[in-house]
Amino acid sequence: MLSARKAEGRGEAEAKYRGLLEAAPDAMVVVNKAGEIVLLNVQAEKQFGYSRDALIGQKVTNIIPEGFAERLIADDLRTAADALAQQIGTGIELSGRRRDGTEFPIEIMLSPLDSAEGVLVTAAIRNISVRKAAEGHLAQMEGRYRGLLEAAPDAMVVVDQGGEIVLLNLQAEKQFGYSRDELIGQRVTNIIPEGFAERLIADGTRTAADALTQQIGTGIELVARRKDGTDFPIEIMLSPLDSADGVLVTAAIRDISVRKAAEEHLAQMEGRYRGLLEAAPDAMVVVNQSGEIVLLNLQAEKQFGYHRDELLGQQVTNIIPDGFAERLLADDLRSAEDALAQQIGTGIELVARRKDGTDFPIEIMLSPLDSAEGVLVTAAIRDISVRKAAEEHLGQKVEELKRSNEELGQFAYIASHDLQEPLRMVASYTQLLSKRYTGQLDADADEFIGFAVDGASRMQRLIDDLLAFSRVATSGNELADTSSEYALEQALQNLHWAIKDSGGLVTHDPLPAVQADEMQLVQLFQNLIGNAIKYQNPGIPQVHISAARRGKASWTFAVKDNGLGIDPQYFEKIFGMFQRLHKRDEYSGTGVGLAICRKIVERHGGALTVESALGKGSTFSFSLAGTEGSA
Amino acid sequence: MRGQRDVTPAQVLLVDDSPGDIRLTREAFRDANSSLILSVATDGVEAMAFLRREGAHVAAPRPDFILLDLNLPRMDGREVLEQIKKDDALRTIPTVILTTSDSEVDILRSYELNANAYLKKPVTLEAFESLVRSINEFWLNKAMLPQPRQT
Repeated sequence: MLSARKAEGRGEAEAKYRGLLEAAPDAMVVVNKAGEIVLLNVQAEKQFGYSRDALIGQKVTNIIPEGFAERLIADDLRTAADALAQQIGTGIELSGRRRDGTEFPIEIMLSPLDSAEGVLVTAAIRNISVRKAAEGHLAQMEGRYRGLLEAAPDAMVVVDQGGEIVLLNLQAEKQFGYSRDELIGQRVTNIIPEGFAERLIADGTRTAADALTQQIGTGIELVARRKDGTDFPIEIMLSPLDSADGVLVTAAIRDISVRKAAEEHLAQMEGRYRGLLEAAPDAMVVVNQSGEIVLLNLQAEKQFGYHRDELLGQQVTNIIPDGFAERLLADDLRSAEDALAQQIGTGIELVARRKDGTDFPIEIMLSPLDSAEGVLVTAAIRDISVRKAAEEHLGQKVEELKRSNEELGQFAYIASHDLQEPLRMVASYTQLLSKRYTGQLDADADEFIGFAVDGASRMQRLIDDLLAFSRVATSGNELADTSSEYALEQALQNLHWAIKDSGGLVTHDPLPAVQADEMQLVQLFQNLIGNAIKYQNPGIPQVHISAARRGKASWTFAVKDNGLGIDPQYFEKIFGMFQRLHKRDEYSGTGVGLAICRKIVERHGGALTVESALGKGSTFSFSLAGTEGSA
Repeated sequence: MRGQRDVTPAQVLLVDDSPGDIRLTREAFRDANSSLILSVATDGVEAMAFLRREGAHVAAPRPDFILLDLNLPRMDGREVLEQIKKDDALRTIPTVILTTSDSEVDILRSYELNANAYLKKPVTLEAFESLVRSINEFWLNKAMLPQPRQT
């Protein structure tokens, strides 16, 4: 009975145990110490593809070829308490084999089971195919993500909500000068002291969509710190990353040192350019291809009487109605080099209009300016009102001077000509008086008449010379190829008797062809040689005429005598009108001869000079242009 | 027809507005040819009236020779010369310009209008007297002149 009860009690317990076994979600297999399966549940039948009877008494290695049977002994050493502490999910991963030979990943949890046949081992077996596949997928995804991370051109740092770095890429290591292990788990404030950690909460509240709209380039500019303590400017773009550990923040970090330096340089350049623009003495207006003003300086504001804002964006034709806008296309076609060749002073003269509607003359110089918006045209605008007025004034003055000069020439001619008439009467009648009545009145009357006759005839000579002088300018002929030797011969012919009377000797070198008014050249030689013979010590006058080439296209003539010579203090005086160095009773003459000579030489574009000393003779020199052929 | 041995006094018309020159000319001719009869007209209009025997000049003699200044009041010498040389009755009278002008334009224009000579008034008395002697000698003694047409 007892045994029956016992058997009955044992039967009840076994039934309960079997119920639990069958209700378990995992496959359950109970194995004895010999590695034989003694019990299994329906999940085990299903998973392995065997019927219960086919497995009972079989070796467990048939369904779990490795790793299980070998653990029985080892597991036998563990206490039941130890085994219980072993949780599913932290179990042993092995491979199961189905009846059809296929294998699948399993996780088993072992636990001891005391029984009448000794300690058995209960194995809860979970098919982890699905989990394994998910894990594989995950690893693959992570690999891909890591690849992307590493391939990113920027430093990438992933930070958790606690501000700790959980992931970073190679660029981050390089940029910050740390090895990966030195950063993982560290506070992000170590590498970005300010402005990042504070943003994590805020960024955490943003939706992923919001974060995605954040583009690099519109990111946040911060300062990063390297391991060596040096700082550098960065731009970071933050985006949330959902993960098993909660929302992480991915930070794409770009080193913008170079860009910052470039920006600074650009700002500096722009500052300088603006400085130059404002410092320019001229009004500067920059115009785009549509003829709109895009930039101007203070001088432009002043000159045109507009405020800057009133001109920006306006058509340049508002301030320069004609001639500028039309040139924009033309200038566009020119190369920058051509434009640069255009210098101020060779600029274009136009008319500008002020805000009040008044016009003023300007000179503009255009030059192309490459910009992000295409080729702009910079116009340097100079108000040339003053210059224009000065030019006009100068022109007027020149005109006045020319007219006054002409008038003076005319005056000299007309005066001397018209003076001749009454003088001719005075001279003629005093002469008639002298002729008819000399000796018939008293001695005083004779003397008085004599002075009147002498004065009148002297005045006639003065007027004749004055006329001759004024005719040098008013009645000269065009300069033409002329034989100076022939001119000299004519002069000598005219002086034939004077030379003969003096007993003098006039010699000359071969003389060149020159550009001259022949009649005036004859007169020039005649006056100079006449003087050379006239102003003599008692003795034989010797005069020599020579010509020496001076430069390529010019000849210097010299008329050298052995006469009285001239005190150097009178060198300038002798060329003046009516200037004489001698008393009338010593040497006759009106003092016009050399003035005429100088005027003739000047009309020929040369200068008449003298070299002399008292008692040493004189040399008069002048230059004349050679003929084309002789040059 | 006048000739070298003609005994009738030579008739000369002087057209000049300058009393000084008129007197000088008269004096010079008196020295050169005491029988010469010098008539004077002091402007162009009077000269033409004299030559055409108009008005007060109805009894004016026909001159054998005319000395004509260019710059005259009312009608100047150029016009007088033109009138004379266009007039069939007057064009044969030798007409010599005697003036202070030595302008090329005046010289050319005068010969274009058929002046018989162009003379510049000399500035000295001696030269003037010499010129008048030459005129008398050449035009009134040597030169053969046509007989005036009887009208």
